[in-house]
Amino acid sequence: MRAATVVAMGGIVPAVLQTPAVAGHRQIEHTADLAFELWADEFGELLAEAARAVVAVLTDGRAPAGTDVREVELAAFDDGDRLVRWLNEVLYLAIVEGFLVNDATLAITPEGLRGQARGCSGARDAVVTEVKSATYHDLVVRNDGGRWTARVVMDV
Amino acid sequence: MTRPFERIDEYRVRIPKQGDMRVPGLIFADAQMMEVIATDRSPEQVVNVAHLPGIVGHSLAMPDIHWGYGFPIGGVAAFDPEDGVLSPGGVGYDINCGVRLLRSDLMHDEIVDRLEDLSLALYKAIPCGMGGSSTISLRKPELEDVLQGGARWAVEHGLGDNADLDVIEEGGRFPGAEPRKVSDRAKDRGRPQLGSLGSGNHFCELGYVAEIYDQDAAAAFGLGLGGVTLMLHSGSRGLGHQICDDALHTMLRASAKYGIALRDRQLCAAPLGSPEALDYFAAMACAVNFAFANRQVMTHFAREALLKFFGRGPGRPASPSELGLRVVYDVCHNIAKWEEHDVDGEKRRLCVHRKGATRAFGPGHPSVPARYRDIGQPVMVPGDMGRYSFVLAGAEGAMRETFGSCCHGAGRRLSRMAAKKLARTRPIFQELRERGVFVRADSKATVEEEISDAYKDVADVVDIVHGAGLARKVAKLVPLAVVKG
Repeated sequence: MRAATVVAMGGIVPAVLQTPAVAGHRQIEHTADLAFELWADEFGELLAEAARAVVAVLTDGRAPAGTDVREVELAAFDDGDRLVRWLNEVLYLAIVEGFLVNDATLAITPEGLRGQARGCSGARDAVVTEVKSATYHDLVVRNDGGRWTARVVMDV
Repeated sequence: MTRPFERIDEYRVRIPKQGDMRVPGLIFADAQMMEVIATDRSPEQVVNVAHLPGIVGHSLAMPDIHWGYGFPIGGVAAFDPEDGVLSPGGVGYDINCGVRLLRSDLMHDEIVDRLEDLSLALYKAIPCGMGGSSTISLRKPELEDVLQGGARWAVEHGLGDNADLDVIEEGGRFPGAEPRKVSDRAKDRGRPQLGSLGSGNHFCELGYVAEIYDQDAAAAFGLGLGGVTLMLHSGSRGLGHQICDDALHTMLRASAKYGIALRDRQLCAAPLGSPEALDYFAAMACAVNFAFANRQVMTHFAREALLKFFGRGPGRPASPSELGLRVVYDVCHNIAKWEEHDVDGEKRRLCVHRKGATRAFGPGHPSVPARYRDIGQPVMVPGDMGRYSFVLAGAEGAMRETFGSCCHGAGRRLSRMAAKKLARTRPIFQELRERGVFVRADSKATVEEEISDAYKDVADVVDIVHGAGLARKVAKLVPLAVVKG
């Protein structure tokens, strides 16, 4: 099992999430921006769930389904950085290339992340809400007893 | 987190230096505003900024401060060139997000019955929202010219007048831009977006001067009671967001490399003279110029639309002199700049970070355009789309206490989620119409997030900066027609 990774500096770690779902997310309050709490049994699932959370916001919950594939390779130096860089990749794919991610199979590499994103191509018009970026502010990624939880703030 | 706030006077609250803070915090707020500020984590962010190396004076916060990421929104910090740092989190994602104000010879009664058509004309003229790609699509070499030329590029291409440039911060062209320091991704994001509003809190607003507090300053700014104004709020769009993203990744590594302890990763930074800081500055300058050009191009689109609207029929637009539509000022509120300031009687060159804070240079400052130099730099402080905005003039107090800075807006009071929840129980567009405001938006959700209730009353914010002597109230503008993303 991987060691727990706590990325937050001076922040509050997410509450223990009591949910039967294997992977899930919820939006949490942040005065200026948008924040998510995420949970999953595996780090890769956590990343896929994070992508779904962001795409749901971008498309106001109306993302078309798809099975198109994009290869992904990202540089990142720890799990917090992996989550932020991945979400920014998801944003770039959606906003610039019109590719809406709905699932991903990602492997952690010493350099960062590598794998495949799956989703719908040519869906630029489905993006109705602007999200500027995932941020490092108040970022938490942790693994407690085999369960991954995270909190990430998005600048909108 | 409980902080020992020390009230200094009616408008100032100090957070004393403690632990590893290098300077104290200073928040401009009266008792009522401080109660609101203390409900979120922005005071903690003021403290975090006070820990950064080379910070000079105070970690400052304006009365519209609210919880951001890294720096609070409404934060100002100046850094010494020798031991200070440059932090992309102190500038924000929307580099050179800012406000441009135009005045006109049109009067409120001339347009009040035509707002429905007028708002539609502006909505059609200015690309906005996520689908809002500009009608100008740049090839890569052209984009690089924009990144270096800023608003000057637009004027040289027939999108505005030379006179516009005299009343833009930095003359609309920020020095030090190096397009080769901007990633291809950032360029890809910027190319289709020049001359577009974006979404979120960005807007194009037609309003009128409802109240004047300082006749001389208002006259110098070309603002008369009942006169119609146009205000634009936007920034560097996806190009700036990507430059910030790219820099944060580099700066996180740089913070570790240079041993800079961070209380929030978003505050990652590099010493001002380091290659990482120099690279970010050169890329940031490109985004600053893109944003100046963006507001210049949108000004051109809005001018064309208004000249056509007030013309004498198809193919016979009004002449620019008939409308008297002239830029009052264009000022940015997300930036890091080298400036000279007096610190304890000594003139020092400092790198001033303003994140959600407006430059507000006082009378006599050489960077204030000649026509306003006796008055002070115009400062536009937008409120919310249902109430009012203010025009101020920078004052001496800002030069003494805040490195020539003041507030930038109302400051959010409700999260976007809470605002939406509240808005969905009410007929928002109808309510705004009953107040005399026509809103055209690409997305209903954006309007819901931006309802008046989501913001503090901007009148309370400007009363504090006026009372504290950072800026003087000049005029109040009331919205009539608003275009949102």
